[in-house]
Amino acid sequence: MTVTGSLAAPIRTRASLFARVRTMAGIGVQMMFHDSLKLAGTLFGVVFAVLLGNFQMGTFLALLGKNRMFVENAQVDIWVTPPGTRQFQGGKPLNDAQLNRARATPGVAWAEPLVLQTANLVLPNGGSEPVSLVGARAPRFAGGPWNLLKGDATSLLAPNAIIVEDAEREKFGGLNLGSVRELAGHKVQVVGFTWGLLPFAPAYAFAEQTLAREILKVPADKHTFIMVGVEPGVDPTVVRARLQEALTDTRVMTRGEYMKEILTYIVTGTQIGLSFGTSTFMGLLVGLITVALSMFSSVIDNMRQFGTLKAIGSTTLDLALLLFTQAIVYALVGSLIGLGAVSGMVQGMRNPQLTPVLYPEMFGLTVALMVVVCLLASLLALFRLYRLEPAMVFR
Amino acid sequence: MSAPALTVDTKTPAIDIRGLTKTYGTGALAFQALKGVDMRVEQGEFMMLVGPSGSGKTTLLSILGCVLAPTEGEARLFGEALHGRKESELPRLRLEYIGFIFQGHNLMAALTAEQNIAVPLELRGYGHSAAIKEAREILTAVGLKDKFAKRPDELSGGQRQRVAVARAIAGRPPLILADEPTASLDAESGMQVTKLLKDLCSQRGHTVVCVTHDNRIFHLADRTVHIEDGRIVPAPSH
Repeated sequence: MTVTGSLAAPIRTRASLFARVRTMAGIGVQMMFHDSLKLAGTLFGVVFAVLLGNFQMGTFLALLGKNRMFVENAQVDIWVTPPGTRQFQGGKPLNDAQLNRARATPGVAWAEPLVLQTANLVLPNGGSEPVSLVGARAPRFAGGPWNLLKGDATSLLAPNAIIVEDAEREKFGGLNLGSVRELAGHKVQVVGFTWGLLPFAPAYAFAEQTLAREILKVPADKHTFIMVGVEPGVDPTVVRARLQEALTDTRVMTRGEYMKEILTYIVTGTQIGLSFGTSTFMGLLVGLITVALSMFSSVIDNMRQFGTLKAIGSTTLDLALLLFTQAIVYALVGSLIGLGAVSGMVQGMRNPQLTPVLYPEMFGLTVALMVVVCLLASLLALFRLYRLEPAMVFR
Repeated sequence: MSAPALTVDTKTPAIDIRGLTKTYGTGALAFQALKGVDMRVEQGEFMMLVGPSGSGKTTLLSILGCVLAPTEGEARLFGEALHGRKESELPRLRLEYIGFIFQGHNLMAALTAEQNIAVPLELRGYGHSAAIKEAREILTAVGLKDKFAKRPDELSGGQRQRVAVARAIAGRPPLILADEPTASLDAESGMQVTKLLKDLCSQRGHTVVCVTHDNRIFHLADRTVHIEDGRIVPAPSH
């Protein structure tokens, strides 16, 4: 036996958890980028899930926006609606007595009637197209036009003036400012254009309320909705409660409650929620399965290397840290690529008919969700590593 | 930061096993791979464990490597008992006591040579910079000074096994277990790697148990132990 140096002795220090995280994270990231084909395949799964999920959610939000754009954009604190109202649609007409009771309710700064009905616009070729004609009352013009490209609300004070949707100009026979058309038997003249006011119903068109009542043949004491503004500093929910007490044969909602009610109706009262929810879920599921299979396959391909790591002293926790790092990096990189792609797509297809809506909050939510999905996906691979016997390195 | 070593009484044997048995499977399918092995290896010794395929040498190495539990008997590394240990304690024992050299090099394909060596060092508590510094020193010692940043697929078979040797001795674990370290190498490379292992371990005071059936390297051992059919047997006379 030949020993020329001092004898080696047991090493009695073990790395801290932080140091182990750093070591395993470093190995995990390098392993990911070493196998570029598998990296691309896994990222494809994440990107697909992000793209599909956000596109579906954005489209759903766009559809939702179409349904509640009026409530969202009208500068109104409280809506008095016909009983049973669940979306922005007229029902049994409200009357002047209810309007006056609303005006007399404490906390109410103003109350205005709104008229909304469909009317047919006669085209130059003899055909006709429907519009949702809104009658907003001067001088407040509550519920009046917004997103104006040309003209303003006061343009409606001109005789027989209407404002129509810019996206429907061609459909309405090539409308321009000053164009004259027949609307439900009345000659009207275009004085302005809005952008993107296209609900599921026919596009909105706006007229001063007196003209609208004349066109729609709605008596002066009948109203589709009553809009209420509260006094400064007064809680709208308090005034809403008072109004509901005073107007028992109506449904009174604050702006927020009305928007929430429309959302609830869309999700639970129609197939839209189920349809978009299912496709979003499928996108996430495909992402989950792709990432899970890819990470599992990567573990199988590198079984000997993982076995070696276990043999030289790594614990299952260390290998979990490695896999979790990979999962998080997949989620972050895939989300970034996916969100960039979906943003580009949405920007490219921006039009007044239907543009998917991407809220900034969705970006953060997407990243968080994909991190959770990828971490879940890594559990399959982790389970395999948990069962991995380090003795396999000697076989 | 480098990890401190604990001084052990040099009279304590590096390996002390008594009546070790290992049975795989149960009932009619049971197979006894080790049948009461007694063996003692002194600290600093370079021992070769030789025997035909299926003789039990890999099973014995696996038990010594704390990756397999014996069925019966006692096994101690530097006085510390391995038998009766919980599985969760074994990674610590492997880190504290053992450096491994495998039949295939078993290097991490995505990591460079120096990173492969730094991994066990970092697990033992070395800071990253200290681990890389030591890795480079050891790579220099095994003649791979210009290969620090090379990945395994950029190295020859002999060079990879040198990196594997460097990884095993990094951090000065007291025991090196080598499983057929020359099996995947040509005769010249195999001889070079074994000589390197022998020299480095002698200089640094590692105890080595090397499983092999490559009779060209037997003469490098301080002692050769023969195993057949799960038992330690006297060396063949031929």
